[in-house]
Amino acid sequence: MDLILQLLFTGIGIGAVYALVALGFVLIFRATNVVNFAQGEFSMVAAYLMVVFAVDLGWPYWLSFLIALAGMALLGVIFNLGVYYPLRHRTYLPVIIATIGASILLANSVLAIYGPQPQVLQGWFETPGIQLGPVYLDSQYLLIIGVTILLVFFNFWFFEKTLLGKKLQATSQDKEMASLLGISVSTMIMITFIYSAVLGGLAGILVAPVLFVSIQMGSTIALKAFAATIIGGFGDVAGAIIGGLALGVIETFGAAYISVPYKDGFAFLVLVAFLIFRPQGIFGERVAEKA
Amino acid sequence: MPLLEINNLVVRYGEIEALRGVSIAVEPGQVVTLLGANGAGKSTTLRAISGLAKPTSGDILFDGRSIAGLGPEAIVRLGISHVPEGRRVFPGLTVKENIMLGASNRKASASQISREADAMFDLFPDIRAFSDTLGWTLSGGQLQMVAVARGLMAKPRLLLLDEPSLGLAPVIVQAVFRIISQIRKDTTVLLVEQNARMGLSVADHGFVLETGRIVLGGKPDELWGNEAIAAAYLGGHAKVHA
Repeated sequence: MDLILQLLFTGIGIGAVYALVALGFVLIFRATNVVNFAQGEFSMVAAYLMVVFAVDLGWPYWLSFLIALAGMALLGVIFNLGVYYPLRHRTYLPVIIATIGASILLANSVLAIYGPQPQVLQGWFETPGIQLGPVYLDSQYLLIIGVTILLVFFNFWFFEKTLLGKKLQATSQDKEMASLLGISVSTMIMITFIYSAVLGGLAGILVAPVLFVSIQMGSTIALKAFAATIIGGFGDVAGAIIGGLALGVIETFGAAYISVPYKDGFAFLVLVAFLIFRPQGIFGERVAEKA
Repeated sequence: MPLLEINNLVVRYGEIEALRGVSIAVEPGQVVTLLGANGAGKSTTLRAISGLAKPTSGDILFDGRSIAGLGPEAIVRLGISHVPEGRRVFPGLTVKENIMLGASNRKASASQISREADAMFDLFPDIRAFSDTLGWTLSGGQLQMVAVARGLMAKPRLLLLDEPSLGLAPVIVQAVFRIISQIRKDTTVLLVEQNARMGLSVADHGFVLETGRIVLGGKPDELWGNEAIAAAYLGGHAKVHA
């Protein structure tokens, strides 16, 4: 029982990271009808920005954190203008290929600067964690879960309670009609890219102390997050979060009870099972109704 | 001076010439109806005015100022609101949210817009009960009401209405046209209709489009009076109407 609680905590912690990246996938998909294959690289770039400022330059952790997030917002702007905007009137295919190209560019730019050896980033807190009864709560996992809960509430408030959120939703549902009402479609898509880049960056910064900071971390997280969006029901915000958490828990239990080397395999096993037996995902019907 | 003046407007979609030199004028305070068969270019004319279709040549003057070539976001800010074909109510937003977004062309606080949206239900009492209902669950008539209410939230000086009667039951069509005759007290309206009888019943002036050209224009009774034309373009019930 103790072990189960411990695994559940760890699984939710890592699942929260997948959920944040999956949320970025879903928001960009809904705004542009395109899957952004560079979403994982946003996480990787942000983790390296933390290495630059907090480790190499030795600046305070919180300051490095703010600079890294600002850097991600800037990357969101550049990504929108450089990758999406020039192709916005084309079909989805050239845009998807451009995002794959951008992900290769980002990964190899970082590789050229930092080389292949993984970097180490400390966690936010000095204390490694606290013992709560039988369960040891790692401080970094606590932070990840706390930030994710806050972001889920923020996301709900932003999209459901603010006029700007409604304009973003309107844009994702019918761009031409949105423009007829005077909603600036290009501004709305810009905001979506900035928000998604910051979300992805946040996930990367939070998970970096748990993993190593490496070139591959982006693609690993993105694959899991992508699986999470399919499990949750592609295009559904709640589905992305539930799917991410479920995936984190499943792979943690799989690693503990079945096989550690096959840890990553469990995520994809679940993905394949969903694609065969429930391809619309957990919240699939809701997405279909909205379409 | 006309509020809207279109001079020799040509719009091409690739090889196809959808409009081949259309000229119309809409005076302030008028309801002007554009009649014609499917594919005559009625919707294209409205899309060119609101900036969704780029004119190939010719000019569109709004209040004496050329708006040809401006984008839709800029044109709605000048005070032209387009309620397009098919209603285009956002399916995943509520009725009230849809209506509130109609004010996106002007500066106003969210609470002010919310109050104005509530007031809009006085003009459209049939959809008041559906304020918090998502768009995709509504019927065609309700969608049309929401679309017109949303169009009016822009406080337009010129309202473009594309086929408001399309696909609606006759009793709903009458409700929609009652609203149009109320709207006209404050707003100039350019109305596109296939239903000539309803379209002309509220109009001060009518034009008939045929394959991208204006073939006839005049006051509604002049149009009904021209028997050959009435038979060809207006459904052939001129005498019954007269």
